[in-house]
Amino acid sequence: MHHAYIDKFAYQDSPIHRLDSRVKFIVVLVFTAVVISLPRISLSIVVCYAVGPFTILVLGGIPLRFAFKHILLVSPFVLVLALSCPLYDKTPVTVVFGPFLWQSSLGWVRCFTILGKFIVTMLALIALVSTTRFGDLLTGLQRLGVPKLLIIQLGFLYRYIFVLIDRAHHILRARAGRTLRNLGFKAELKIAAAMLGSLLIRSIDSAERINIAMQSRGFDGSWRTLSKLQIRRTDLLFALMAASFMLGLYIFVRPVLQ
Amino acid sequence: MHMANELLSVPVAAGTLAIAAGGLGLICRNVRQVIAADKLALMGILGAFVFAAQMVNFQLPAMPGTSGHMVGAVLLAIILGPHAGAIVISSVVIIQCLIFQDGGLLALGCNIINMALVPSYLGYFLYKTATAGPFSSLRVSIGAVLACVIAMQVSAALVPIQAALSGVLAVPFSTFLITMLGVHLLIGLIEGLITVAVLGYLQQVRPDVFVDSLPGKVRLSRKAVLITLVIFTLVIGGGLSLLASDMPDGLEWSYAERPDQPDFEAAVSNDSAAIAAVDDFQARYAPLPDYSRRSSAIGETGEAQADISAGWTSFAGVVGSAVTMAAIWLTAWILRKKQLPKA
Repeated sequence: MHHAYIDKFAYQDSPIHRLDSRVKFIVVLVFTAVVISLPRISLSIVVCYAVGPFTILVLGGIPLRFAFKHILLVSPFVLVLALSCPLYDKTPVTVVFGPFLWQSSLGWVRCFTILGKFIVTMLALIALVSTTRFGDLLTGLQRLGVPKLLIIQLGFLYRYIFVLIDRAHHILRARAGRTLRNLGFKAELKIAAAMLGSLLIRSIDSAERINIAMQSRGFDGSWRTLSKLQIRRTDLLFALMAASFMLGLYIFVRPVLQ
Repeated sequence: MHMANELLSVPVAAGTLAIAAGGLGLICRNVRQVIAADKLALMGILGAFVFAAQMVNFQLPAMPGTSGHMVGAVLLAIILGPHAGAIVISSVVIIQCLIFQDGGLLALGCNIINMALVPSYLGYFLYKTATAGPFSSLRVSIGAVLACVIAMQVSAALVPIQAALSGVLAVPFSTFLITMLGVHLLIGLIEGLITVAVLGYLQQVRPDVFVDSLPGKVRLSRKAVLITLVIFTLVIGGGLSLLASDMPDGLEWSYAERPDQPDFEAAVSNDSAAIAAVDDFQARYAPLPDYSRRSSAIGETGEAQADISAGWTSFAGVVGSAVTMAAIWLTAWILRKKQLPKA
């Protein structure tokens, strides 16, 4: 079966892809924190910060349409939250934007700032995930001190998500092929329970088989990988550039606005 | 109920991240001694099962077009025990954040607490309490439904509380809370029903999955659902009516002095210096839009001038950023065009 592999671009090659996963992770984390702590009613500075993830996406060769489509997919909750702002905050404000000047309410300003921050932080996260192979990210996280049990768990989970989603698709198709009308809630619930139950049993069974296979190959609960993570000069350069971008923008904007 | 980054302030995000990391670390260390290596594959695959299970949807009554699906935290806690269940659901939340970008990176701590730790432990505790004593199908049903409903309500209530502590709510706190609770009451109820139905199916087909926790036959009955709802209504009615009687609106609630809960007040007043600093910071450095309340313009000319110059600055910033991005994109495009014929 075919479904879009969310992180299919992680297997490309570019200067961004070759960076150390730890450095990228920390930079994205700090970037997100910086963007979130920006004033709640300043849209323009958020736009300035958008340059960072945008550059990384372009350098990494990630299609922008992919990124924005993905953001749209996860936006409903934030969208509801942002759109409820104008309803509750009707303080009139005058928005001055270069040669333009118009009346608006504080709620709308907040609404757009929330959306702006959401898009910028999501761009940063997409930039991280779609330029880093998940295995490398996990190794990096382990070096950063995440417990090994959790890393193994995440690795297994990532490996089998798409396998099980395929199985769920098979079951769903079988149901669609046999259901011709709405059967009422009770029957629907019963069918869904049987589907979930059989999916669960199949998962448990395949887990048993996988376990036997892994034991016979000497799995003792720890993973050994070939990837050697080491911080190189380019990684330091990237971290330096990212830091100076965030700090520089901050310092540059601050005095002008006082 | 994935929390977004925008709902949190940095101190709250850092605090919850620390709590979640500490909790997970503790669980991992303790569980490591209990869980043999042969459980690792099972836990990983059950995590993937949670993803696949979310695709199995079914029609809800009275609301054509909407469909429900299972989250599975309580089911996994019943099958695997609370510790392993908490780790599995946490890893699901982490993958949802990293691979599917559902919920922000900063909000990860909150999401792990709300969606993994609380439902697993609270749900398991409630289920165990309800099913203590001799086995009966009614008890298991009530236990599972109650565990799902209450665990879901508690985690739904945590979202507005965390947002209010961050001080970023535009929506009044009580409205947000009631909306979240209302929506998740329905979700929790459906989760409970499907959990019991799945337990019944498993019991019928593969009784060996539950080693000795379900000795008899589980059947979902109408009586069980009704009794659960009655219990839940009593709990909520008793608890919330006390709370809601004279609740100040919105954020003030979280700052209000609460003699009944001394810890509560202390926790917030600790932060108040930082919050004041942040407010001050925001008032000073907010570039766009520079809003002035028309009613309270005292030094009018000076402020207006400052407004206009700041407006130009932000204009320059936005236009500059747009031009930069366009330049970067164009350069990359040209470079790629050049590379393509060679490759």
